[in-house]
Order: sequence, then C-alpha cells, then structure tokens
Amino acid sequence: MEEPHTANNSDHPKFALPVDSEHKATEFRVYSVAAPHMRAFHLSWISFFSCFVSTFAAPPLLPIIRDNLNLTSTDIGNAGIAAVSGAVFARIAMGTACDLFGPRLASASLILITTPAVYCSAIANSSISFLLVRFFTGFSLATFVSTQFWMSSMFSAKVVGTANGVAGGWGNLGGGATQLIMPLVFSLIRDIGAVRFTAWRIAFFIPALFQTLSAYAVFFLGQDMPDGNFSQLQKSGDKHKDKFTQAGIIAASFGLANIFSRPGGGIISDIVAKRFGMRGRIWTLWTVQTLGGVFCILLGRVGSLSVSIVVLLVFSLFVQAACGLTFGIVPFVSQRSLGIISGMTGGGGNVGAVLTQVIFFRGSRYSTETGITLMGIMIICCTLPMLLIYFPQWGGMFCGPSSKGTTEEDYYMSEWNSTEKEKGFHQSSLKFSDNSKSERGRRVDSAPTPSNGTPLSHA
Amino acid sequence: MESHLLKAFLIFFCLLGTCYGDVLFSSLSHTLVVTASPNQGQVLNAGEDSITVTWGLNQSFPTGTDELYKEVKVNLCYAPISQVDRAWRKTVDNLGKDKTCQFTIVNKPYERNQSIEWIINKDVPTATYFVRAYAYNSAGEEVAYDQTADGKKSSNLFEIQAISGRHLSLDIASVCFSAFSLLSLFGFFLAEKSKRRQVKN
Repeated sequence: MEEPHTANNSDHPKFALPVDSEHKATEFRVYSVAAPHMRAFHLSWISFFSCFVSTFAAPPLLPIIRDNLNLTSTDIGNAGIAAVSGAVFARIAMGTACDLFGPRLASASLILITTPAVYCSAIANSSISFLLVRFFTGFSLATFVSTQFWMSSMFSAKVVGTANGVAGGWGNLGGGATQLIMPLVFSLIRDIGAVRFTAWRIAFFIPALFQTLSAYAVFFLGQDMPDGNFSQLQKSGDKHKDKFTQAGIIAASFGLANIFSRPGGGIISDIVAKRFGMRGRIWTLWTVQTLGGVFCILLGRVGSLSVSIVVLLVFSLFVQAACGLTFGIVPFVSQRSLGIISGMTGGGGNVGAVLTQVIFFRGSRYSTETGITLMGIMIICCTLPMLLIYFPQWGGMFCGPSSKGTTEEDYYMSEWNSTEKEKGFHQSSLKFSDNSKSERGRRVDSAPTPSNGTPLSHA
Repeated sequence: MESHLLKAFLIFFCLLGTCYGDVLFSSLSHTLVVTASPNQGQVLNAGEDSITVTWGLNQSFPTGTDELYKEVKVNLCYAPISQVDRAWRKTVDNLGKDKTCQFTIVNKPYERNQSIEWIINKDVPTATYFVRAYAYNSAGEEVAYDQTADGKKSSNLFEIQAISGRHLSLDIASVCFSAFSLLSLFGFFLAEKSKRRQVKN
C-alpha cells in the first residue's frame, strides 16, 4: 500500500527544490545552482551556448578569412549551409543516444568529439578545408536535443516549458554573442602583434577551449536524472535499458533577443497550460509562429533601415518565442521515446534552415528581400500542419479529448506491450501520466478512472 | 525617443554622403601617368617582394593641368578575374561605394614625377592586381587618375601570393589539443565502464 506523497521538502530532504513523484522539480529557480536540477540546467545551457559560439564563430571573421583562404561567395554560402546541415542527422542520432546513454554522457561525448573541428579551423587553408571544419563543428548543435531531453527529465510538466525555453534560448544566445566575442578577441590578438591572417586562427582557440571545458564540466558535475545517472539507475532496475541535439550588432541582436524571447515562449506555454491545458499550448504556438511568418513577410517588403531593424526585432521575438513554445509541447508526445522525438523536432528545424538557405538565399535567383518574403510565406504554410495535432487524452486545436474517455495513462501506457508491463518497464511512464494531468487545464468535471485500476497517488 | 535618434542619425549620414560628394569614376580626367615595376603575369610574394611605383602628370597635357591636384593616392586594385563571385570587391562608378581598390600603396601631397618602393603588406590576399593612382583636389575629391592596366583591366596585370598565416606552432597546438580532446573522451568511456562494473558488484 503506497503512502500518499506530498510534493514538499520534508519528504525529500535531499532535494533543494520541491519535487513531484518522479523527483522532477516543480519550480524553476534560475538563480539557484542546486544539484541536481538547477545544476543540470546551468550545465546544459552553458555547454549548448559554447557549441553555438563555435558553430557561428566564422561569420563575424569572414572578411579576413575570405581573403586568407581566397573564398568566393559560393564557397561562403556552401560553408554556411554545411554548418547547419550536419546537425540535421546529428540531432536525430543524439535523440537515440540520450535514450540509450543519458543526456550527460551523450552531450559530453558529442561536445568533445566536435572540438577537434574547432581546433582545426585554425589550420584551414582552402575553401574545402573551411567547409569541412564548419560542417563538423556544426554537429555540436545536436547538444540542443540533449539540453531539451535533460530539462524534460529534471523538470515537471508545470515548468518544463519554462526550463526548455530558457535553456534553449540562452544556449542559442551563443550565436549572437559570438558576433561580438570573436571580433573582440581577434582585435586583441592583432593588437598584441599578430598579422591579420594569423590572428583569426589564434582567435578560434577561444571557442574551442570553452567548448572543451564545458564538456568536462558536464561529465564531472552533471547527473542524468534526479535520482542518479543512467548507468546507476539501469543496474538497480529503476531505469530499464531500452533496446531500440553596426551590421554585427544588428546580426547579434537577432541572436541576443534569445535571452528573453525564447524563454518567454516557454514561460507563456506553461502559463497558458495552467488555464487551457495542452490545447492552449498548441493554439498559442500556432498563433505566435504564424505571426512570426507575417512579420517575416513584412521584413522583406519594408524600405527604410530603421523600420527594417524594428520589424527584424519583432520578427525575431515571435520566431524565438515559437521555438520556446514548441518545446513546451514536445515533452508530452512520448515518454518512451522522448529522445527520438526531441531529436527529430530539433533536426527538423535544421532541415528548415538548410532548405530555406538552398531555395531562397543561394546564388542570385531571388533578391534578398524577395527571399525573406518568400521565407515568411513558407513559415506560415509550415505552421498549418499544427491544426492536425491531436492528443486523444487532451484534444487538439479544434477537437476536445476523445469521446471514448482516453486518459493520460491509456495514452502513455499504450507505448508498452504486456510483456514489458509485466517486467515493470512502464513504471516511470505511469508516474508521468499522473503528473501530466495538469495538461487538461482547469476543468470542472473529475478525472475518469484509470483503465487498469492501479491506485495512483496524487502529488 | 529611439526613433528620433535613429532619424537624426540617418539624416546625418545622408548629409555626410553629399559632403564627400558622390564622385563618379567616369567623370575623372585621365591626365595622370603611373607605372609599376611588376611585369605582365609576374607573381610576387606578400611580405617579401616590393613594387616600385612612379607617378606624375601625363606629358601630353599642358603644364597647368595639375594645378588643382593637392594630394595623390596610389592604390593596389583587384583585376576583374579576382572580383568574380566576390561582391565585396565589386566595381561601381560611384567612387564612394567602389570596392575595387582596397590597399593604399602611398598617400601623400601631390608633386610631379615621384616614385616609391613599397614592400607588399602581409595583409594582401592572393589575387590578380593592377595599380591605380588618384589625384585629389583641395576639397578631398578625386579629379584625375591613371592605372597600369588598360581600360578593360585585362592586360598588364600581375599576381600576388599571400602569406598563409599558418605557423608550425599553431599547427602543433591544434593537433595536440584535438588529440587531447579525443583521449579525454576515451578516458570518459573507461571511467563510465568501471563505474558500471562497480555498481554491478
């Protein structure tokens, strides 16, 4: 007979934050570094930030690099596409790796494997070597998936949107920060006395060292789940092994807006969910992302610089908030395959980046303004499929929950077959089902009884 | 408040543009003469080799033509072949926006028949070049020019080979740090494996 759980500190003295039945934190305290929850948060966003700094370290230094390596516009365009295309498959693979090995080992390994590419950027000597280092460095963007997976493992349904949004947003910040960091580092090195063509090479050691150090920090200080690491939990039976990531400042500002706009999206997702549940999350995402598309179309049409800057900032706010809102929904799609789902969503985003650059921004078929307008139309069209998202237990944009009375438990238990249930593999999903009841929003009617009759304790 | 500041900024820059005048290359008089030491097709090394440049008034013009020339600037300019697919080196008629000539060999007060020996900067990229001289009036506007290449910039061009910027110490550092990263990764896996064995036992 289970004792009723209460989610307060007296039952779980070893956690600094209040936790639910899965020991996931129910509060998000950004100023805390308490292990394991907030420490995991800070480790994940900082290491993700370092990967963004490395991947986008080349663009601000391109005026020097293109002269040193004798690059053409085509070479530069191809390298830019290569930088984001590697991550498409790397993110999907990372999802699987997280499911198998846990986010701590998966992300530390990926970060360490990609640092040689950043170190070797310093010895690139041709357009091909430049493309290759950007391609392999870009693989590190798969740490996005491990970040989201880790946050989904550490934080409960109530705050998972916020945690995912802040971690993702502050990590993405690296792409904006690098536009300011790299030129600064370059100038310092050049002023010390290095020739320009040598100074940019030395400058690349900074993001490379930062990335190496963050990998070490994740490995030694991190922990996969609130109760321990995957290897410990797998052995003790808590987690089974499943078989089956003046132009410079304007450019920087788009990335820097991530500091609050992406977290904002995550926070809004959680706030809306309190009242309207999952349906609210989906509606808000559709609205925000469509508006992002509208502002993108506008950006391609405006004439003056000052209006363009304003529209760019508004556009970036909506687009990044949509990213935060997306990962307010992803943690609920599957419990068994959280990694793969996160990986495919993250990878899918990169596919968008590749396609958009290839179709609209390569060569001279479309002027940049036309390309931006068409990209906005593409955003709106790609957002339409959201109308079809449907959770049987909560509903979709236009439908309520299934009339058959499907519960959260039915949905998450359907991922396990009876043999696996006999072995007890479904236990963590069971707890999650109970904790995710908050996604119904504030409804007056009481919850239908669970179909398998197991008495559940309420947080 | 911010929009007012932005508008003021933009107006200021527009006026600045008219101050420095939108001088067009096609409006310049071809009254100078400039010669440079490299021959057609010669390859020079940046940081090592030098170029000797001589400039003055083209003798076929009357003596008083250069009275208004106060300053002369001799530049190293990209030949068309080095501008292909590189928008940051584009040639436009408006000299305020023209990007053909990005390296200054010499910039001094104008005097007839001067020359200079210039060691090629280590910043100069690998490309095909020619030399062009501009004469400026007292208002700082270009008024005359000459170049070592012909009108189509297709003859009498020379090449410069840039420095690589790489050093042996940098190469060694890159390889060592990369190897260290991969070794650490290997170490992590061993550590994880031994931890698993410990938990098992």
